[in-house]
Order: sequence, then C-alpha cells, then structure tokens
Amino acid sequence: MKKTIAIVEDERAIRDNYAAAFSREGYAVRGYPNRRDAMAAFAARLPDLAVIDISLEDEPEGGFELCRELRGLSPELPIIFLTARDSELDAVSGLRLGADDFLTKDLSLAHLIARVNALFRRVDALRRPAEEKQVIRRGALTLDSERMSVEWNGEVVLLSLTEFWIVYALTKHPGHVKNRQQLMDAANVVLDDNTITSHIKRIRRKFQVVDEKFDAVHTVYGMGYRWVE
Amino acid sequence: MGRISELIRIGPISGFRLRTKLLLLALTTLALPWAGCQYAREMETVLRESEKQSLLAVTTTIAGSLKGRQEWLFRADSLPALSNGNARDITPVVLSGVPLIDGRADEWDTDSRNLIRVAGPGGDSLQMMAAIHERRLYLALLVRDAKVVYDASMLAPLESASIGDRIWLAFDDTRGGQQQLFFSGTGAGKVRGRRIETREYGREEAVEEPRIEAVWQRSGDGYVLEMGIPLSLVGQHIGVAVDDRDRRGAARSSYGTLDVADLRATGRLIAASPNLTDHLRQFAQPGVELTVASSTGAVLTRIDAPALPADYTRMRGFLPRMYRLFLDGDAIPRSISQAERQRAAEGLTARVAKGKPETALFAGRYENSVIVAAAAPIYSADGKYVFGVIQLAQTADRWLTLRDRALTRLLNLTLFVTLFAVVAAFWFAGRMTLRISRLGAASETALGREGNLSRVLPESEARDELGDLSRSFSSLLGRLDEYTGYLRTLAGKLAHEIRTPLTIIRSSLENLESEANSDNAKVYISRAREGSERLGAILTAMGAATRVEEAIAHSDRQRFDLAALVRDAAGAYGGAFPTRRFSAQVPDEAVEISGAPDLIVQMLDKLIDNAVDFSADGATISIVLRLDNDHVELSVANPGPPLPPETANRLFESLWQSRVESDKRPHFGLGLYIVRLIAEFHGGTARAENLPDNSGAIFTVKLAR
Repeated sequence: MKKTIAIVEDERAIRDNYAAAFSREGYAVRGYPNRRDAMAAFAARLPDLAVIDISLEDEPEGGFELCRELRGLSPELPIIFLTARDSELDAVSGLRLGADDFLTKDLSLAHLIARVNALFRRVDALRRPAEEKQVIRRGALTLDSERMSVEWNGEVVLLSLTEFWIVYALTKHPGHVKNRQQLMDAANVVLDDNTITSHIKRIRRKFQVVDEKFDAVHTVYGMGYRWVE
Repeated sequence: MGRISELIRIGPISGFRLRTKLLLLALTTLALPWAGCQYAREMETVLRESEKQSLLAVTTTIAGSLKGRQEWLFRADSLPALSNGNARDITPVVLSGVPLIDGRADEWDTDSRNLIRVAGPGGDSLQMMAAIHERRLYLALLVRDAKVVYDASMLAPLESASIGDRIWLAFDDTRGGQQQLFFSGTGAGKVRGRRIETREYGREEAVEEPRIEAVWQRSGDGYVLEMGIPLSLVGQHIGVAVDDRDRRGAARSSYGTLDVADLRATGRLIAASPNLTDHLRQFAQPGVELTVASSTGAVLTRIDAPALPADYTRMRGFLPRMYRLFLDGDAIPRSISQAERQRAAEGLTARVAKGKPETALFAGRYENSVIVAAAAPIYSADGKYVFGVIQLAQTADRWLTLRDRALTRLLNLTLFVTLFAVVAAFWFAGRMTLRISRLGAASETALGREGNLSRVLPESEARDELGDLSRSFSSLLGRLDEYTGYLRTLAGKLAHEIRTPLTIIRSSLENLESEANSDNAKVYISRAREGSERLGAILTAMGAATRVEEAIAHSDRQRFDLAALVRDAAGAYGGAFPTRRFSAQVPDEAVEISGAPDLIVQMLDKLIDNAVDFSADGATISIVLRLDNDHVELSVANPGPPLPPETANRLFESLWQSRVESDKRPHFGLGLYIVRLIAEFHGGTARAENLPDNSGAIFTVKLAR
C-alpha cells in the first residue's frame, strides 16, 4: 500500500511540484492550501507523513498551530517543516513543537525525498525490534542508525533528522575533524556557516539537558568539529 | 534695503561665538556709569544752586543789617565826598594778615591802585602805600632821594643845623585837632615820630609819640619808612610830606600829600569804621570770606578767607580723578590767579552796586577747587541809593565732596555690577555652549554610527528651547533609525520574498529533469538551474547579515583563550587557502577574553577572506594579536592595493564594497559589516588603515579584555 504524504502549502505551484516529485517516488500525495482544510482531512484520516509550511494563507504562523494539533492527534507521525523562513527563532520554535526536521526551501527536491525516505525508514525500524549491528556505541553514547535514535547514558536525546545526521557523521570516526562542508553533506542540506554553528549549539544543548557535563562535541577553530570520547 | 533686512535677520554680531556675543551684551551695563554721571551732574547743579541761594540769603541778611549804617562803613560821613574824591585820598588795602614793619617795601603790592605817587624836585619822588589790618593803619613811604641826608636830631631835634631829611605825618585826631609828627632818619632801625610842642616861655620841645611804630631803612635809590598807626588816633584826614635837604641845616624842599605851607592834611582816609568789623564778626564763619566794599569798589574790610576744601587731599585718588574727567569740563573754569580772581570779585561788586544781589562762581586757587560768591548791595536808610556792597565767598567743597562721594560709590557699584554681569554672562554662555556642543557631539555620534542610533540625547529633560531642540533631534533620529532599520532589514525581507518564486522555478526545473528531454532541452535546463542556484546564493548572502545579528543575539559569553584560538585558526587557513602564506604573531601566554569563540572565528574568517581577495597569489597575510592594558588588538594585514582614502570609514558599513574587479561570487560588502558587528558584541571597534608604506591594507579589531 502506498504511503500517503500530506503537503500543506499555500503556494499552489510549489505544492504541485512537490506533489509531482513525491508521486514519482511512488507516494500518494495530498495537498492542502491552508490549516482548516488540512485539519478537516487529518481528522478523517491521518497521512503517513506531513510536510508543512509555516505561513499559510491568512495565518502567518498557521504551520506551527497545525503542527501542534497534528502532534496531538498522533505522537509518532513524522512532520517536516519546509519553509521560506530561515530564522533561528522559527527553527527553534518548529522543532520544539515536535517536528522531526526543519528545512528551508533552498533544499533540492532530491534532498527532500532523501529525508522523507529516511523518516519512513525510521518509522518502519521503530516497528521492528532493534538490530544490534546498526547500533554504534561510543562511551556513554548509543546511536541507532536505523531508528535514528540517540541515547546518552541510557537516556533518549531527541534530535531532529538534520541533527541526528550531524551527530552520526561526527561519531562515525570519533576524533576526526569534520569541517562544515562535510557536515552539510552528511545532513543532506545546503546551509551557511551560521546555520551549522546553530545546529551544533542545539545539539550540545540537547545533550546537556540529559547530562549537564556533556562536552563531547569540540570546536576546532578554523576547521570544524570533532567528537571526543 | 536688502542689506538692512539681512542685518535684522542675522544680527550685527553674528560673526562671533555665542560666548563673545553674551560678553558684549554684558558690557552694555557700562552705560550705567554714564547714566550715573548724568545724574551726578544734575545733583551737582541742584546742590550748587541751593548753596548759592543759601549764601545769597546770608549775604542779603547781613546787607539788611547794615542798611543805612554809613557811619560804620566810612570813618566819618564821608560818603558825599567819595563821589568826588581827590588824588590825596588814601584808600588802604584791607589785609588779612599782619604786615611786618621792617623798613622793607618788598612785601607790599607796588602795582596796587592804592599807590599814591608824588613827584619832588630833581627827580626825587614819594610813593605811598596804605593798608589796614584790624585796628591799625599801615603806611609804607618809598622815597627816592639822590642824596640822603641823615638827621642828627637825637641831641637837638629842633636845632636847625642838625636837621637832615625828614618826613611829616599829619592827620586830624578824633577830637578835631591837628596832629603833626616828624620822622627823621638817623640810621637804619626803629624811629619814633615826634611832635613839636610849645611849652612855657615859647620853648619848643620835640615830644615822642609812642603809639606809632615806625622803621626807617635805606633803599637802593633812597630810603623807606614803614609805620603802623592805631586807627583810633586818626580822624578823617591824613597825609604825609617829605622835607628834602641837600645838607644838614639847608633849606628844605617839601612835597607830599600835605599842604606844604602849614602841613595840614587834606587827603581823606577812606576806611571802614572799627565798628563795622565788630558788627561783621557776629556773622563770620570759619572758611567764609566776608568783604565789604564801597559802592565805588574800594574794599573797606575783609574777614577771613575761603578755606581749603575740607577733604581736598582725600579726593586726589585715581578713581575720583578718572570720574571727574567724566564730569567736569564745563561751567567752572580751571584755577585762576589771585589777580584774576580779584578782578572777577570787583566785577561782581560793580554789578551789584547797581542795586541787585547776585551770585557767581570762581575757580579757586587750587586745582579743581571752586569758590561760590554772593554779593548784595547795602542801601541807604531811605533805600534810595547804594553806598556799599557786601560779598561772601566760600569754597564750594560741600557739593563737590558730596558729588564725588556719591559718584565714587555709584561708579564702584556699577563696576561691581558690570563685573558681576560679565561673570554671569560668561558663566551662562559657557554653560550654554557646553550644552549645545554636548548636544552637537551627541547628535554627530548618533548620526555617525550606522548601526543602532542612540535615541536619548542629552538635554532632553530640559524645559527650555535647548530641550525642545534635543527632543526634535531625538524624534528626527528616531525616524532616521526606523528608516535605517528598514534599509537594514530590506535585504533580508527581499531575500525572503524572492525565495518563494525561486523555489517554484527550482522545483519545476527538478521535475522537468526527471522527464524525458531532448539533449537541447537538457542544456537549457542545466543553464536555468545554474541561474537559479546563483540566485539562491545571492539570497543566502543577502540574508547573512540578519542571520549574524540573530546569532549574535543568541550568543552566550564564555571565557576562552583567544591566543589559542587565533593560533589554531591561523594554522587552519594554510589548508583552506593554499595559494597564500600565513604568518601569525601571537603571544605565548593565554589571553583570556569573554565572548563567543564561534563568532570570533567567524570574524577572523571574514578578515582572512577579505585579505585573500585583495592580495595576489603567493602573498603573505600576517595575523597579529597584540595585548594592551585593557584590550587586545587583532589585526590582519595583506599586501595589495591601498584603500581609497574616502572609503576607510565606510568599509564597515552594511552593503558597502569597493571591489574593483568583477568576481563570480556574489559580494554584498557584508563581510566587514559582520566583522564590525562581532567586534561591537565584544565591546570593541574595527578600523581599516593603509600600511605605513602604502603597500597594502591592515584591518584591526580592538576587543575588550
């Protein structure tokens, strides 16, 4: 059975283009121009994944509201914010509402599809028992590449998809310095330096919520970052 | 006309600084002394007039008391004879001091009109001068005699053989009898007058008259006889005669004011009665000169003299002298000689003798002293004619002193007030200038900074016009700030708005790529993609400043070692830019600063990017970290073209670039703007200069420690 992706986007051309791309990949796509239409449809039947823009027609923050309501309906449903807004504040707000990823519209369709696929893989993986070979352990860190979940000292650290990929890239070869470009490639994003810096900052904070003394991500000035055990 | 309106508009002193203007205004208080002088002059006139009037009142009173008292003014009722006087009349000068009887004539005023001259035989002559002091009549007889013959009268004055040159004095006595006395020169010294009295048997005897004091003395061309006669002895007539002889016992040749034949006195003595002096004494005041003259102008008596101004010496100070310079210059002549003054007094007497009291001002004998005089006629008992004039004169020091004192105080006060006004004006002007320049400086720095405009200016609390100015400046700056803010966010907003259509284009192209396309179409598609990617890069760059500002706003400060950071980063640049060499000069010890290391790295990246862009392949870019007392300086220097001088300060502004060569990468001049933002976040500044030898540029960031 085809997986259903809901695209909530008020710009018809973009919505249709995304829909075409997802359809090509074999997904069933349903598009909604605003929050009311989307919620009405979601109440009847939940999609398997939702791609949401933040500003929807007359509601500048409609996407956030929609995300909160959708999370209320289903805690596991993968939600991706895809927006023209690239401010730090928006990203933080979106991720705090429980979105799995926060992407800007600079992202190419190919990258977007890669993320969607990854999220579906994770949903599938979570339904199966954990397989040991996909798990990386680095000291206090436990990282499941299939379920895209991270634990620190046995406690779950909730990371967005982008953040997970950055942590994954760093921990694959601990001690090796990854420069910003490498991290961007790993995360399937085109970001500028500041965005990588804020991602790193957010990752540190999320680990610090679990362990105040967390200090495994080191900055190597002028070069990049590395994971230190 | 245009010139006048311009003057009104800009004011006549618009060329000066505010302080000078206020100072000039304060100096207008110097008009006060001028007004004060005018007032003092008015006051002086009033005082002078009142003094004249009071003096005149006294004079008139005395004149009234003398009305009809001819017998006091004149020794006998000689008034009818006065009008037709003869040459033998003696009008003595009234002296204020006792003359010295010493046989010398030099102290006598030989120019006096009271001088009587009688010519004798053979070039001989007699000059007689007369004066009165108190109750004595003084005579000085100057005899020119070619051959002075001494008398040998000591032994036998009446022995004709012993008789030499003799002088006869004859007068009526008060009882109507005739007194005839002779004085004979027997040598220099005191002589006595002798009267020839006929005793029993017709014997004649020369009896000395002890009440008359006389001194005989030789002079250059003859001899002098001086004598003092009590007025009580003398009646109405008096005269002298000279008996000149060629040798002792020779025949005399007589000449003089007496009738030579019988030695009878016919010339009258015109002098006041002693009673007059007594009467006038009751009116005498110290320092007031009281003069009584006959209607013909002959002075009959004079009591006292005008006193010196009371505090004459005290008024000699520098300031009063200066003040008087303002005041005088009219009304009163400068000091005049005694003779001039006398003439003026006589003129006054002559005018008053016609019947009307009058006042006058004379210059005194001393510098700036003034004498005020009042004269009144003395009428006969029936009031039909004037027979005398009384004149009072006193030094007018009272009003002068008053005037000077008032003026001195006024001027001192004015000087003080002026000084105070000047100081106050200076203080006020200084404060005003300070406030204005503070406002000016604040508005200049507020305008000079491109970033956040400070809206609170000094003086905004003040309630005066400066406060209004400050507030309008503030609101102006506020509007400017809004506008600047709008401009600053414009790029970000624009980028955001363009992103949506760009996404449509890009996603459409991506969809198109997945379709089956002809080879030609693929070329076009790839070109379109390239274009859209470049557009995307431009948008990212445009939003960069906003993102940096956000990143700065969300940055946490921590203490970190700047030296280690710079060392690491400098090491990494070699790998990032293999075509440049990097030299780092960093202190060995740790340089702890408080801030965000990520931002510092980003700042250094921008500086290095800039240095790389402006230098040629193989150039050495030097990074220097220098320590100072309270700050650190991080500088990046590169060889290359020098900075155009006019852009040095604008380099750090948003969207400014002075890049000459075209480049494929989009540049928005944000790099150095970001450098500045980060420097300011660390409490520092950024500046750009040329290297001393103009071989390149050096960018320096100053950070607080």
